[in-house]
Amino acid sequence: MKIDKIMIRNFGKIHDKTLELGDGINVLYGENESGKTTIHTFLKGMFFGISRSRGRAAKKDVYSTYEPWENPAEYGGTMWFTQGDGSFRLTRNFEQNHQRFELVEEDGGRTWDDPEALAELLGEVSEAVYDNTVSVGQLKSVTGTDLVHELKNYIASYEGTGDTSLDLGRASQMLKMSRKGFQVQADRTRKELLKEQEKLDVGIDYLEKEIDSLSDKQRQIDEKKKSLRLGDSGGDVLERHIRGAKKKKTLTMLLFGAAAVLFVLMGLVLTDTRMKIGSAAVGVILLLIGIFRNQQLQKEIRRRRRMKEKWMAKNKKVRSDKGAVESAIQDKRRQIESVQVQREELEEQLREMLPEELEIDAINLAMETIEALSSDMSDQVGRQLHDRTSRILSEITNGKYRDVRFDEAFQMTVNTGDRMVPLEGLSRGTLEQIYFSLRMAAGELFLGPEPFPVILDDIFGMYDEERLSGVLRWLHQEKRQIIISTCSRRELDVLEKEQIPYRGLLL
Amino acid sequence: MKFIHLADVHLGASPDRGSSWNGRREEEIWETFRRLIGEIRDHPVDLLFIAGDLFHRQPLLRELREVNALFQSIPDTRVYLIAGNHDYMRKDSLYRSFVWADNVYFFKEEHLTSVKDPVCDVTVYGFSFHHQEIERELLFGAVPEETDGLHILLAHGGDDRHVPMNYRNLSAAGFDYVACGHIHKPNMPARDQIRFSGALEPIDRNDTGPHGYVEGQIVRGRLRTRFVPFACRSYLDVTIETDEETTQHSIEEEMKEAIAQNGPDNLYRIFLTGMRPPELLLIPERLKSLGNITEVTDMTRPAYDLQALLRQYSGTLVGDYIRHFQEKGELSVVEEKALYYGLVALLETGRP
Repeated sequence: MKIDKIMIRNFGKIHDKTLELGDGINVLYGENESGKTTIHTFLKGMFFGISRSRGRAAKKDVYSTYEPWENPAEYGGTMWFTQGDGSFRLTRNFEQNHQRFELVEEDGGRTWDDPEALAELLGEVSEAVYDNTVSVGQLKSVTGTDLVHELKNYIASYEGTGDTSLDLGRASQMLKMSRKGFQVQADRTRKELLKEQEKLDVGIDYLEKEIDSLSDKQRQIDEKKKSLRLGDSGGDVLERHIRGAKKKKTLTMLLFGAAAVLFVLMGLVLTDTRMKIGSAAVGVILLLIGIFRNQQLQKEIRRRRRMKEKWMAKNKKVRSDKGAVESAIQDKRRQIESVQVQREELEEQLREMLPEELEIDAINLAMETIEALSSDMSDQVGRQLHDRTSRILSEITNGKYRDVRFDEAFQMTVNTGDRMVPLEGLSRGTLEQIYFSLRMAAGELFLGPEPFPVILDDIFGMYDEERLSGVLRWLHQEKRQIIISTCSRRELDVLEKEQIPYRGLLL
Repeated sequence: MKFIHLADVHLGASPDRGSSWNGRREEEIWETFRRLIGEIRDHPVDLLFIAGDLFHRQPLLRELREVNALFQSIPDTRVYLIAGNHDYMRKDSLYRSFVWADNVYFFKEEHLTSVKDPVCDVTVYGFSFHHQEIERELLFGAVPEETDGLHILLAHGGDDRHVPMNYRNLSAAGFDYVACGHIHKPNMPARDQIRFSGALEPIDRNDTGPHGYVEGQIVRGRLRTRFVPFACRSYLDVTIETDEETTQHSIEEEMKEAIAQNGPDNLYRIFLTGMRPPELLLIPERLKSLGNITEVTDMTRPAYDLQALLRQYSGTLVGDYIRHFQEKGELSVVEEKALYYGLVALLETGRP
């Protein structure tokens, strides 16, 4: 792809400006504040549009920054470019109430008004890919150590995410913090529920102890019952005894009565007076004995009656005691059961997933997914990135540095031919060269058969002349359009000196 | 003739264990039942129907005595009772031996029986659960006797495992009124004819909305019924819409207002829906402390346009991440949450 021409209608402070770009190297030269960054922003805006930020951030977003000072309703311009076999004209107005998009195929005459068509044409170059590979900005770091750090971060996030603006470490930190918050909540809830469960268990224990002591009582009653010996039919046995005694009494009365009457009658019948008296006396004695015996038996009956009553009363008490204890035990059992129902409900609640645990699951899934995808990406990107970075570094330094190595922890060392030097031991200029090699390598990884232009925004400020000519020579033999913006004449001078063809564009 | 129909009192239940108001709820459920009996004492009705699950589980003797004493205190009202699936008549159930007050009739059989009310011209039908589940259509083919007066059926169940009911058949069977229990949400499968009174008090956080009993009355020869809210609290669901301007503070304010408006005594479930600013990290435990809140469900999504992000970040981890989830098709709740958790973490921690 090649950008042929841009016409800026109104963008930031630039209006009605046309720039024609050529193949190979284009140098956009201008003093500070002359609008180089504006042109970069315009180019990106043409490809991907300018989206507005939300809320307060909108006041300082790209849209507001480049809103034209004059004629704000015409906020945009036109870009002509070649892609594959076709040349296209792309016109945009970014103004939020007059948004316009028009892509025209100049030979075929086809027209699209949907940015999706442009995205399709750009293929793999998404906005993020553009930021990471097409457009190369300055390193921000001022000091050497910061630069080393920045470079390491750069390679780490590029390898893991394909996007140097991402920070996997901080992302994972953030997820862990959210997870921790939910975990604390979930633990608290679970602890609360377990405490409830414990309370119920204590209740059950207590009830069981009560049942135990009731059972003791039950045993005592049983013992007492046993001591009453006669069993449940005791009443009948005692009654039988009473009846037996009564029978005996009746029998005795009949026997002695009959005998007494017999002797008395005999006395009446007998003629001998002594015999008569004797017989009557025997009758009277028998009668007296009968009466005495009767009284004895009557006493026994009364005794047995009392015994029975006493036994019956005792038995009744034992029985009612036993009944009371039994029903008390039964009631305690039911109470235990009711507590157990509550306990089961609690267990059910404990088995259920807490809302916080759902969040934790989601966070874990997010972390696992990021890790897996990032490790896939490292596998794909890592090796190739190393190889290409090394090759480009070797080419732009005429073989002075041959090999850049990264280990697992993204510690980088550079092979100088005779020894391995850690990044920390290199000059700023060399670090800048490594950065350049990395960016170019990353770009190559993405860009398929038809390379995208590369846009270098003032990145050679720290290069000495030797380094600058090395890098420009390398860019020259690259088969792609190069747009270099600079605020010094050095690039132009070196290009002249090296007799490298270029197109100069003065701002 | 006037009656009250209630069900699913669940005496002895203690909902929301582990929350600050647990324990209070157990007593409240009893208290509401006592309050209702008191109401009947002051304004007697002829009949009181309790369509099962008066108790949350097997009743204790003292509980039965307590309830019986309450029934005794409304001698002008005849009480008709059945056992539901929670207080089912197990072999050792006290329901089997308990002697109720004269004005109470308990349907002991697990098949339909009927009894004529001694005062009103009403025949009452009912059955009790002897098991925790009854999967057969116990009411299939049940018809009222061909006698004068009203025919009222007490029934507990209505789902697959608890006496499945076909409301159309039941409606056609000819009962004047079917007083149902078991479903905790009040509803009315057939107007003025088949009603679930719903639980008298909500029993757990899923029993949202108003709770109470049904009052029935003959008006100009026709039976009219109406639902009377009576519970001392309701579980309410409050949904709060968020947008890209939402903050923790604005949600808290909105919740406070919703709670003030709907009554601070009620128990709330809060649902947050809508878009939210991606950088907003909600602190749910703060929200939980604003009232009687059983749970806060956060269903908000960060205001990301996934398609736009996919386009913008295609070829990088963020693009891969979105695509990874989109290729799954329909996302589960966890997956959708994971998608956004990951995106927020990646995008909000990025270098500008």
